[in-house]
Amino acid sequence: MDLTKIRSDFPILSNQGIYFDNACQSLRPQQVIDAITEYYREYPACGGRSMHHLAAKVTQKCDEARQTIANFVNAKTKEEIIFTRNTTEGINLVAHSLGFKKGDIVITTDKEHNSNLIPWQILKEKIGIKHIILPSKIDNTFDTENFKKVLNNDKVKLVSLGFTSNLDGVTIPAKEIVEIAHRAGVLVLLDGAQAVPHQKIDVQELDIDFLAFSGHKMLGPSGTGVLYGKYKLLEKLEPFLVGGDTVSESTYTSHKFLSPPEKFEAGLQDYAGIIGLGEAVKYINKVGYEFIQKQELLLNKYITSELQNISGLKVIGPSDSEKRGGIVSFYIPNKDHHQIAIMLDETAKIMVRSGQHCVHSWFNAKNIKGSVRASFYFYNTMEEAEIFVRELKKICFVL
Amino acid sequence: MFCIIAFVVLSIIGIFNVSYRELAKEAYDCVFRRITRRPCNTGFKEKMKAKLVGKVLNHSTIIAKFLNKNFELLSWVLFLATIGSIFWTGKGLFNFYMYGSCNGLNKSGFCALDPKGENNKVSSAGGSCGTGEGDESKVTLENVNLDIFPTQNTDSKDTVVLIGCYSCDYTRKAYPLIKKLISENKVNYIFAHYPVKEETLYLLPIGYCAYKQDKNKYWQLNDKLFDNSKEDIAKKEFVDNLLKDVGYDVNSINSCVVSTETNLAVVERRIELEKTNIYGTPLIFINGKGLVGPKPYRVYERMVKGW
Repeated sequence: MDLTKIRSDFPILSNQGIYFDNACQSLRPQQVIDAITEYYREYPACGGRSMHHLAAKVTQKCDEARQTIANFVNAKTKEEIIFTRNTTEGINLVAHSLGFKKGDIVITTDKEHNSNLIPWQILKEKIGIKHIILPSKIDNTFDTENFKKVLNNDKVKLVSLGFTSNLDGVTIPAKEIVEIAHRAGVLVLLDGAQAVPHQKIDVQELDIDFLAFSGHKMLGPSGTGVLYGKYKLLEKLEPFLVGGDTVSESTYTSHKFLSPPEKFEAGLQDYAGIIGLGEAVKYINKVGYEFIQKQELLLNKYITSELQNISGLKVIGPSDSEKRGGIVSFYIPNKDHHQIAIMLDETAKIMVRSGQHCVHSWFNAKNIKGSVRASFYFYNTMEEAEIFVRELKKICFVL
Repeated sequence: MFCIIAFVVLSIIGIFNVSYRELAKEAYDCVFRRITRRPCNTGFKEKMKAKLVGKVLNHSTIIAKFLNKNFELLSWVLFLATIGSIFWTGKGLFNFYMYGSCNGLNKSGFCALDPKGENNKVSSAGGSCGTGEGDESKVTLENVNLDIFPTQNTDSKDTVVLIGCYSCDYTRKAYPLIKKLISENKVNYIFAHYPVKEETLYLLPIGYCAYKQDKNKYWQLNDKLFDNSKEDIAKKEFVDNLLKDVGYDVNSINSCVVSTETNLAVVERRIELEKTNIYGTPLIFINGKGLVGPKPYRVYERMVKGW
């Protein structure tokens, strides 16, 4: 792949500095922007409702996007793809629809994003489920042996895990985890927000029950997301957001839900976003995961090796950069992470994230104030990585 | 300490640029928390410090390191400088209101509110217009016999003395204000002609004789000399006509002008005026306080009326 040509597809890259905040939100190529504007310019109508030709066009485009995304994660049918606003909504949908009862157990790890933590805390308070938090190993990787032990309880109903951590970029051994969980008769929900944009996910091969991911981290429009679910499971779920377009008919006293995915997609949808997301997936397919991962690992390897030369700097997660995908999260004790991030922006327009990255629980447990997180995507270059290292070294000297 | 500085600075900038208002609000929140003995939890100081140090870092690593290390100390320095600046600004505003100059009464240094120093300018006794060279602190009425100068006595406790020159631009600027002052307030008024230019020297004996012959007509003549142009009043024929217009006997005035007695009287008045340490016109005394140059009307009025 020609990186220069790829970068030319992203208008913002021409003049806005170095974007290393891709774990928060990726940039969008012109193709996605065009797809969104095309909707508003050429067929800005409702989908799935009206009978006129513009509506038919919207329905067709959204169906195409759904099919593209289904193929992308290798879902059996496009009906297994539910459009949401983001990963958080997808997880909440499962949490509120799976029919948890008092005493049911949900297992997560100790470094989940708040979107995969708070819903279970709420269910614990409201219904009385039990929430087991599985500690990670010392290098922040998944502790499979311990996982097997906690699964040994017939009350465990769901294992809900971050596929790739937004904290440190570590990816869990999903296939093994799913196999273990299924052997125990437990469903698996994976938070794929940081995984789907960066690695090939085959939901059939992995046998995942539910997979939630966001459009805005994978070149798609913000406010778009997907919940994949095995169709037979989706059929059993009760929708938690209901209303327009979720039912085939209703009387003053009753209603009949449509089949998945419609019954979960209440109200008018973000058609432009859905179509844009479909275009984003096409773009990722065009670039290919091989190139994406190669580029991310190249940058991570270089930056990780350079960061080792900075006195006192601690990288969160495994020291091996290959285990951290496109994320380098670090902190320097007694030096303010926000200050470092602001100074990177001031000195060379380098955009990184600082803080606790919605993983407050992990930071609080470790008594760490926060970290600076540099996260890469395939359009980032080695030259940008070199500038990042150079500026960071200068800042560390000053602070 | 930085929050206080930032609050003051950002509040001022925020008046002109909306993008700074949010920062000013953050700074205020920080200040308020400090005042109420709570920790500032917005990270405002750290954020601003990072921005400032980051900007400096683009130019010099060493200076950036110094700034980062001594940020609190520099904040204190800036704070004290701000306090000083506010004090001096306040003092300048006060002086400008009171005396027409930011620097104080008759002080001719730069004043942003009167950048050209118009309120302190005099026509110097040397003959050229501009800021006179002299010591404004020495101007005084002490030992000056004012009884020999034209006077409008109203038996008031307040006395205004105008020492001016008919051909001086700055006296011409002050004259209507003094006229207004004496018409709106019950004050004793004394006028002394102190020519700083040769072309109006000849008006000294004319003025003496005119006042001697008819005090009421003298004030009319005085007004006319200020109302007409400098060029016109430099001509003897023109002034003769003014005398005629006012009702004087021109021949009689002219006879008086050349008399020895008039000559001595003129010299006597000049000697008296020199005692004021005058170095330019206008020089105005209100209740004995000397004002060099044409001040804003409020200054004159306040000195008569008080607060």
